Amino acid sequence: MKKLLFLLVSAVALFGLIGCSNSEGSANTESSGNDSGEPVEGGELNVAISADPNTLDWMYTGESAARKIGWHIFEGLFALNQDYEAKPLLAESYEVSEDGQTYTINIREGVTFHNGDPVTAEDAVASLNRWLKVSSVGEITNEHVESVEAVDEHQLKIELNKAYTSLLSDLAAPKSSAVVIPKSIAEAAGEQPLTRDQLIGTGPFQFDSWKRGDEIVITKYEDYASKEGETSGLTGAKTAYLDAVHFKVVKDPQVILNGLKTDLYDYGEGIPLDLYEVIETTPGIEAETSNNGYSILTTDKSEGPFEDIKVRQALNAALDKETIAKATYGNEDFYGLDGALFTPNQTAFYSGENIEDFSNYDPEKAKQLLEESGYNGETIRIIFANDYSDYKKIAEITEQQLEEVGFDVELESYEWATYLEKWGEPSNWDMVVISWSPFFSPNQAGMVGQDSNSSGWYNSEKWQSLISQWATAETEEEKQQILADLNGTLYEELPFEKIANVSNLDARSEDLKNYTSWYGPRFWNTWKAE
Amino acid sequence: MLTYIIRRLLSVIPVMFVVSIIVFMIVHLTPGNPAFLILGEDSSPEAIADLEEQLGLNEPLYVQFFTWLSQVVTGDLGTSVYSEQAVTDLIFANFGPTFSLMALSMILLLSIAIPTAIAIVALRKTVLDPIFTSVSLFGVSIPDFWLAILLVLGFGVALPVFPVAGYIPLAEGFGGWLYHLLLPSFVLAIVEVGIIARMLRDSMLESVNQDYTKTARAKGIRERDVLVGHVFPNALIPTTTVLGATVAGLLGGTVIIETLFTIPGIGQLLIDSIHRRDYPVVQGVVLFIAAIYVLVNLLVDLLYTFLDPRIRYD
Repeated sequence: MKKLLFLLVSAVALFGLIGCSNSEGSANTESSGNDSGEPVEGGELNVAISADPNTLDWMYTGESAARKIGWHIFEGLFALNQDYEAKPLLAESYEVSEDGQTYTINIREGVTFHNGDPVTAEDAVASLNRWLKVSSVGEITNEHVESVEAVDEHQLKIELNKAYTSLLSDLAAPKSSAVVIPKSIAEAAGEQPLTRDQLIGTGPFQFDSWKRGDEIVITKYEDYASKEGETSGLTGAKTAYLDAVHFKVVKDPQVILNGLKTDLYDYGEGIPLDLYEVIETTPGIEAETSNNGYSILTTDKSEGPFEDIKVRQALNAALDKETIAKATYGNEDFYGLDGALFTPNQTAFYSGENIEDFSNYDPEKAKQLLEESGYNGETIRIIFANDYSDYKKIAEITEQQLEEVGFDVELESYEWATYLEKWGEPSNWDMVVISWSPFFSPNQAGMVGQDSNSSGWYNSEKWQSLISQWATAETEEEKQQILADLNGTLYEELPFEKIANVSNLDARSEDLKNYTSWYGPRFWNTWKAE
Repeated sequence: MLTYIIRRLLSVIPVMFVVSIIVFMIVHLTPGNPAFLILGEDSSPEAIADLEEQLGLNEPLYVQFFTWLSQVVTGDLGTSVYSEQAVTDLIFANFGPTFSLMALSMILLLSIAIPTAIAIVALRKTVLDPIFTSVSLFGVSIPDFWLAILLVLGFGVALPVFPVAGYIPLAEGFGGWLYHLLLPSFVLAIVEVGIIARMLRDSMLESVNQDYTKTARAKGIRERDVLVGHVFPNALIPTTTVLGATVAGLLGGTVIIETLFTIPGIGQLLIDSIHRRDYPVVQGVVLFIAAIYVLVNLLVDLLYTFLDPRIRYD
């Protein structure tokens, strides 16, 4: 698919014609498991969410609570399809110059913001300029961007300082997302998060009200200009059948399930995996799972025992990941033992090469490696946030397995905010238990990206050179090779220990029809049975 | 009397000042940084430093304290770090549900505790008295979260009489308001019923054989009227003192009950703000709760003069 697109674009560029890459992902694997019947217009949906987002400014924040509501309100020039590939959304078409340094993007005509104003190139330019500053993804992109300018009312041009093929993936990334908001708002907000009267996008639903700690209401946007083509991921045709969706903050998962049973809620988000059996055995409620990234152990490579690669190798051999995953996530449907940098459902990025050392469990070898290393019985401090029982389980089993091969381990648990502060200082920890939500191109991999606490101060020339190769890689073969090499680097340098790919569990009332599960709940194209 | 009230109100000021210092110190010395929490785990150190500056968190602690205090004195509790809302607005918006919950539990509490206590004193020579003593002890010992879960499973899920969660403001209809609050209020009240009923019973039993009750009986007044008209009012003084403390207990209990029943009240606001390190909101809410405690105690002291005219504050 990618190759075809590339050939098409370059062929078109050669002949100096306007390229139109309005092609949709053909591999639409969305499965609609329910017998939907005829769509029903109207009705209100009550969705229980486990956390109130800090802000609904989806461009500003990377938190998942904002994403799950944000993508109903906001849309970007590009968005991910079902297979996590970047496809045009507000963009009609785009063209890449031969040297790969200029992207000319045409915006779909007839799209309006929720305030009624038409979407112009000026709005997109102002939005992108804000995104390059406030978004954690945009900051990465910004290193490659020379300028963003409007050409005419519906065309804009992005000039890069050198070829950077991740641009579209960055623009489509559904975290701190490059959404299009009115120019006046983008400029007024600047580097501050949007206030609630600035929450104006182009999505099928518009922001209505927010009572903090209680509920967020979005209502159907009557003048929504839907893209044509099959719905896939965040792109394609979207229809809002529901008049309104109420996102209600419900912290106790048991209350969410009780509410689903008694029709108080139609959908519940973020259910702990150990309640899966309850969902399965309750008539009228269906389990919905979605990709939730993976859990890892990050080691502090700036100081302490794990600075020594030998000790990290010993760690790799000491961990029985299958046991950890089974004890933590229980049901095999909720975890996947796979060592790759991307998860298998991210087909555009997944490579299964060079991951043999992912499961390398051999306690004898671990003991031997540890003896050969510079480890002198120092206490390994594992810190984790106790707000999530998964982290606690992983930490406890890891402690057992490490002590078996001769490590001295101490666990320290903190509540989330304290944990974040502790994490910032290398002297506070040797290992953290954390999970990373999916990322959408290799340069967005937060757990290895920056030489900071999130990567455990991982600073690898090899990794950085592969990332810069990725930025200019053109053919599919080249990309696959880089992805394989990235995997290989993970096991050669062991910046972190991947435990397992994990799923997020939601619960849906059977009355919610034509619902399809993907990377989080989407309430367009679905309706409530009468 | 008026001078007394004024004097008492003035004495609130140093109390609130001390409370504000303690709250400020506890909140700011707790590890955690709102800038981290707002920006997320893969944010750059520069972005965090920028946000800290915007929030004024880069200033020395004492400067932050006096900036905050000078606002508080003018009645401005600051603005939430997360939303653009003023802390006073947040407290005002969230106090309705909490106040409704407390008021309804207080009504339930008194309407269960008072008749029970009077009945038990009337039947003090029967086997009901020791039974009551053990049952009330049992009531006091039930953890409210456990009772809440049982009642929700019983009357929310198995026998769907009441909603399992949610809240409707009184302004949107009395029926819906009562319907949503009855179960949580009952849970909140039932734990305190045991204490208040026991207290009333004990105080009433003390005066059941006093000279004035004997005189009343000798005048030919019916036993029922002796209990309700003579014994009960005299038992009210110690009970009122306990009742003042009960208000504090109810306020504490709302934190748990609001979470279990998803009621958007002060307790939820406080817990959320602590998790988010939303300093101005935590400080504002704690100050507000402290003010309520102080005022309730003042109210209790003033109530004594109505309950017992012999008490005077001059």
